Amino acid sequence: MEKLLDSIMDIGEQMLISGAEVHRVEDSIKRIFDAYGTKRTDVFIITSSIVVTIHTDDKAYTQTRRITETSTDYENLHKLNELSRSICKHKYSDNEIKKQLAEIAKCKKYPLWLEFICYAVISGAFTLFFGGGITESAVSFIIGALVRFVILLCDKTVKNKIFCKFVSAFIATSLAFIALRLDFIATVDKVIIGNIMTLIPGIGLTTALKDLLVGDSIAGLLRTIEACITALAIAAGYFAVAFITGGAI
Amino acid sequence: MTSSELIQIATSLIGSLCFGILFNMRGKRLIAAAVGGLLSWGLFVVLSHFILNEPINYFIVAAVVSLYSEIMARILKTPAAPIVTTSLIPLIPGGSLYYTMSSAFESNFTMFLEKAVSTLKLACALALGIIVVTAISQFLFKRVKQR
Repeated sequence: MEKLLDSIMDIGEQMLISGAEVHRVEDSIKRIFDAYGTKRTDVFIITSSIVVTIHTDDKAYTQTRRITETSTDYENLHKLNELSRSICKHKYSDNEIKKQLAEIAKCKKYPLWLEFICYAVISGAFTLFFGGGITESAVSFIIGALVRFVILLCDKTVKNKIFCKFVSAFIATSLAFIALRLDFIATVDKVIIGNIMTLIPGIGLTTALKDLLVGDSIAGLLRTIEACITALAIAAGYFAVAFITGGAI
Repeated sequence: MTSSELIQIATSLIGSLCFGILFNMRGKRLIAAAVGGLLSWGLFVVLSHFILNEPINYFIVAAVVSLYSEIMARILKTPAAPIVTTSLIPLIPGGSLYYTMSSAFESNFTMFLEKAVSTLKLACALALGIIVVTAISQFLFKRVKQR
């Protein structure tokens, strides 16, 4: 039973890391143990921690997991969801679950160059979206790719997400401003907005509000604070450039 | 429909598609999310000709797109949340957030408050739209299954 709990905890941990909402993970874990016929299952999850206690006839088992980083990966989430459904149906042994998890961990990621292109295209597209012209969109496209590069550098060195957002916003804003000085573009705002779209915690804030409204208050508050701090970091990056250039933006 | 609206609808498709790739979505799920992006802004553009209140439009669009996502999720046998979040990316109030920042920098506090409140309103409208549909559909689909 202890080993089984351990492997189910792995599933929950991976789901949370991949970007599942708190109540979905709680629900999945509960359903799985219901299927195994445990007497009682208590699950408590916030965005950074999982606590599960299961009661069998003679004993209670508790395990906790600490989640330090998240990286949105919906393909992973899809597969984990399929796995937890089939566990409910077939009641695999713990070894079998571990094997399947290892299989999922091997699943493909898109290559890094495609991520560069996506950042560039998103920035360019949203500059057009918010009413920018073709040249502004082109400038934004290039800055978008450079922002991905900055994020890559930050991930390899400082590993602090908030600081990383600050630096990215700083670089994006200063590059937009340089482009303005070189007369490539007439206004900077559309270019900056396009680049902000790749940095913005919009999904974080929406998920946070969802968590709050569904009743997962603690998880929701944590996510709200995280989103607000990220937004502040982006604003700080922008402000730094604005101050340096003397508010000419 | 003006040309700038057409550009917006086209770029919303591209935006959702690229975000889907960044979130490692694949195959039919990626297509569902990209089409959702197109649907969300297309609907917003159409609605904005009739209703002039932005948050209410956001609410309606979020509700319709989550309904779309719940249906697609059932068809593709996958969680609905990834499709909803990726589809609604064009509605993220990025512009609004930018103007909140810039007005704060210019010490233009009337505009700062106005933009900050509108950013919050839009985010809340989005979340509410999603929640209402998710709650109702969970209830409804359970009923259908039990029969």
